Amino acid sequence: MNKDELLYLYFSNSLTKSQEQQFKELLDNDAEFKAQFDFENNLKQVIKAEKSDALKDKLKGFEMDLSKTEDKSWFNWRIAASIVLLLGASWFGYESLFGLDYNSLYDDNYTNYPNTVYTITRSDENNSLQREAFVAYETGDFKLALEKFKSIKEEEPYFNFYKAQSYLGLDNLDEAKALFEKELLSDSQFKAEALWYLALINLKQKNKTEATGHLKDLITSHNYKKEEAKTLLNALN
Amino acid sequence: MTNNQEDISLQSLRQGSDLVLQKIYEDNRDKFINFARRYNLDNDDIIDVYQDAYIVFYNNVMSGKIEKFTSSISTYLFSIGKYLIFDKMKKNNKKVSGNFDLSLVKDQDDLVDTLEVEAKGLTHEQQLLRQHFSGLGNKCKELLSLFYYRGFTIKDILEKGDYNSENVIKSTKSRCMKTLKERINSNSL
Repeated sequence: MNKDELLYLYFSNSLTKSQEQQFKELLDNDAEFKAQFDFENNLKQVIKAEKSDALKDKLKGFEMDLSKTEDKSWFNWRIAASIVLLLGASWFGYESLFGLDYNSLYDDNYTNYPNTVYTITRSDENNSLQREAFVAYETGDFKLALEKFKSIKEEEPYFNFYKAQSYLGLDNLDEAKALFEKELLSDSQFKAEALWYLALINLKQKNKTEATGHLKDLITSHNYKKEEAKTLLNALN
Repeated sequence: MTNNQEDISLQSLRQGSDLVLQKIYEDNRDKFINFARRYNLDNDDIIDVYQDAYIVFYNNVMSGKIEKFTSSISTYLFSIGKYLIFDKMKKNNKKVSGNFDLSLVKDQDDLVDTLEVEAKGLTHEQQLLRQHFSGLGNKCKELLSLFYYRGFTIKDILEKGDYNSENVIKSTKSRCMKTLKERINSNSL
């Protein structure tokens, strides 16, 4: 039996006893076979992790639905309390922000996010627009990158995040903010990153309460930029 | 819920029903919380463990490890949950009462032994692979998920109806794998 066939049967849980024996022997004695197995097995783990993360987000959504129902009787009280808190926070925010240099905090922390999704190779003829978009992005030509991203008909899930980055690169904070906020509501792989950039944008826009909220969310739920977020949060308090 | 009803749920889950997914989550949640309280965890931690146990359960359903229920769904969730709680406590260096050893708990639980319950994070190599996998087109991601996450055979995939022949499935898969490998080799991030 050929080796590819054996691997295929393994991953579809259909090896017979004798094939299982052959499979184990190859795994022990054939380095090339072992390397191919490791690659495919890693891929299996990666896909499982992707599915698990997406499901976790879904379950968190179910949990939020449940707590909304449970808290219905407290609804009006909660609104009233939130308004009081918000008013207090805004006043406090205004007061304590006085004297803070938001621009330098932003400048100290902002760097645009690297391209981690698209490999620029010479042979990418099929995706030439996407290739051009990322070439422009990587060379810092955000205006051109945006034009290219917008002209691609088949949107990839990561386009939204890189469009937001491009707007941010062009200092168009409002457009960037809207797109990053969209990231938080989707199944995106860049949620933590979106929180970080939203915190920075709010910082630059002098919205201390929002910036603080995003930093806290980032610290409690993710590992990305955790230390930087803590330092920034301390600077804000 | 009788076993028959649970088997119907199993089928609906496999077919991707969000309604059934949510119903099973809600139906078993309170029972799980009551069960987990004995381990002195706070509410947020219990919900977190419940969700992780649910994910393990779901992954095992989708990969075909659970083909037919031999116990009620709540028994599956309790067994997995117990395993995860002990794992969590072991990591936090907390002892429950006396000397609980995770491997001991696992040995005691035949049900968990039949499932894939590993809770380790991805290795560096796998993280890199994940970035490149995310960058693939949707068609490739879906096809590779059917092969490696669902454990589908080529025939199973053909029956789903998105492809015309076994040969098209084979060649699409090898093209996707080739792209993935090329991207990894040309960019080790």
